[in-house]
Amino acid sequence: MLKKLTLWAGKTFDGLLKAAAEVIKDPIQRQKFFKYVLIHAVIIVTAAIFVYPLLRIFSVSLRPGDKLVSTDLSLIPDRATFAAYGSLLKDTMFLRWLWNSLIITLATSFIGVSLASTAAYAFSRFKFPGKKAGLILLLSSQMIPAGMLILPLFLMIMKLKLMNTYLGMIIAYSVSSLPFSIWILKGYYDTIPRSLEEAALVDGTSQVGAFWRIILPLSTPALSIAFLFNFTTAWNEYLVARVVLFSSQQYTWTLGLFELQGQYITQWGMFAAGSMLVTIPVLAVFLYSSKWLISGLTLGSVKG
Amino acid sequence: MEILKSIYEVAGFIVLIALGVGALEGYFYYHFKYWDRPWFFPAALAAFPAAAVVAASAITGSYAFSLWVYFLLAETAIAAAFRYAVKGRHTVPYLLLAPAFVGLALLLVYPFVFEVYLSFHDLKLNTIMMWKNTGTIPFAGLSQYVKVFTTSPLSEVTFWELLGRTLVWTFSNVFFHVLGGFALALLLNNSIRFKGVYRTFLVIPWAMPQVVAVLAMRGEFHSQYGFVNIVITKLLAVFPFLASLGVAPVQWLSDYPLLTCTIINIWLGIPFMMVVILGGLQSISSSYYDAADIDGASYFQKLRFITVPLIKPVLMPAVTLGTVWTFNNINVIYLVTGQAGGTEQADILVSALYKAAFTYNRYSYSAAFAIVVFALLFFISVTYLHGFDAAKEER
Repeated sequence: MLKKLTLWAGKTFDGLLKAAAEVIKDPIQRQKFFKYVLIHAVIIVTAAIFVYPLLRIFSVSLRPGDKLVSTDLSLIPDRATFAAYGSLLKDTMFLRWLWNSLIITLATSFIGVSLASTAAYAFSRFKFPGKKAGLILLLSSQMIPAGMLILPLFLMIMKLKLMNTYLGMIIAYSVSSLPFSIWILKGYYDTIPRSLEEAALVDGTSQVGAFWRIILPLSTPALSIAFLFNFTTAWNEYLVARVVLFSSQQYTWTLGLFELQGQYITQWGMFAAGSMLVTIPVLAVFLYSSKWLISGLTLGSVKG
Repeated sequence: MEILKSIYEVAGFIVLIALGVGALEGYFYYHFKYWDRPWFFPAALAAFPAAAVVAASAITGSYAFSLWVYFLLAETAIAAAFRYAVKGRHTVPYLLLAPAFVGLALLLVYPFVFEVYLSFHDLKLNTIMMWKNTGTIPFAGLSQYVKVFTTSPLSEVTFWELLGRTLVWTFSNVFFHVLGGFALALLLNNSIRFKGVYRTFLVIPWAMPQVVAVLAMRGEFHSQYGFVNIVITKLLAVFPFLASLGVAPVQWLSDYPLLTCTIINIWLGIPFMMVVILGGLQSISSSYYDAADIDGASYFQKLRFITVPLIKPVLMPAVTLGTVWTFNNINVIYLVTGQAGGTEQADILVSALYKAAFTYNRYSYSAAFAIVVFALLFFISVTYLHGFDAAKEER
């Protein structure tokens, strides 16, 4: 095994040397080579700057309790330990916060996607008076500053006596990403050929039956993207939660982390550990779904 | 037990939503089915408002009469619309749309109208108990709007300062987002190795939960233990002559809060622009560049006359979206400066609005402020889109 590896390394090295010798001989090749190196160097430096804060959180989360504040820049600190993770799970209500977030987010996404899926179908397949007005309403609702609706929603929730409850949060979140979800789903339904439904209609299903049995199963990818979008929006939300929830029992993780990061520098380790635990799944989901999200973001505007 | 209880709560809520949607569908279906019967109007006007009053008094116990009046008016309008305008047509699309649009009406349109109502009244910490108990707020006329322009939403900063700061904030952020995104996209658009890996790394600031990203960056700007000042200190130790040029560790969060927020937000926003522009670059056919190469065009000529014009249709919507997002960005500024004793030197319009409402409890004032900000944003977007359309037609 080792022998094979050294052999392979030696071969690669030889190849590199030969390539380098050739490159240095030929001026055009040389220019290309420098350009190549330069591009890689610039990108690597930028990528390092972009990723560094994340790595720093990781390194802070590994620091032992007595060395939390230090001007040390190394990624894996001396005497690295997972103690911060342990005390985060034991001494704070972090799991409870995650659980609160999860419940609120799941209920919100479920409502959002189910409302959006039918509405998008109406926009995609039917001609009816008010269609254009409805689409314009959806688009223009994106222009309302998010901060603007927090106040009336807060007052409504207070009046309904839903402060500090899951239900209040779910109500506040449930339509926030509805316009965008409708927009994504409409775009996807538009790509499904009508002949499929027409065949089903000839065979005797109703229009709603065709939607339920044919369109919905076919559009699972778009539905899951809309679900993910709803999920990440509600999962990362901070400003509404700040005003609706006030007891730390009911906090979502965003509020909890903000509090940990607060005044006491001793809690940095726990803050960092919590950030890592939350960030990794979100990163995974985002990287998986980013391709569709971006096309959804730009699709509508390019067409219009 | 705790867990079981919350599962029960959420399951109950989802069932409630399903029942609500079902009831709503049935309610509209009734209109579609019986719109031409002679008893349609009397039945609709008697049955539904009565049901609404029963439901409302079960939930709140008061205002039954005023609710009955509102619902009667609404029901008359809805029934008349079905009878004389809809006439039983377009049943399926309207039934499909009903739940979503009722949701939007209750949680988007109604709050908006309520905000307008608030802005003409006087709801603050002193009057909120009265409003909670009786539902009435003292009328204030236009005085809240006058106050928006004459008094400070926080403790010192004025509306006009905030406006100027917002414009500078929006412009500088969007400018650097586009510049950085464009440069990175151009680099990534070469046929190089590890492109996918690089792209993944470069997207990370956007992909991280914003709360984590901003709070982490805030830590990096800490005057003593933050990365930025540590690096400055180390540089000074290696190159002492830098000190004579005025380079020194800085109290970022207290002395330059707006600059700090801007740097953080630029870091956060570049990946989005990069990805959008990269998508645009990849869709440009290489034959344009081949033709330009034959004509002997330089790199910058190609950039100027091929890339930029062809990237515009992708770039313009992204820039519009980015402008609106940046203008409305409360998160970054609030998370950096929002704690007790936080500065107000970094506040822009929307974050001042949020703080006026929830730190200073000036509800009606902040409602009026919000209406002014909305009008401003609306005006800017309409003129901008109008200019964009005009430019489109010229081409």
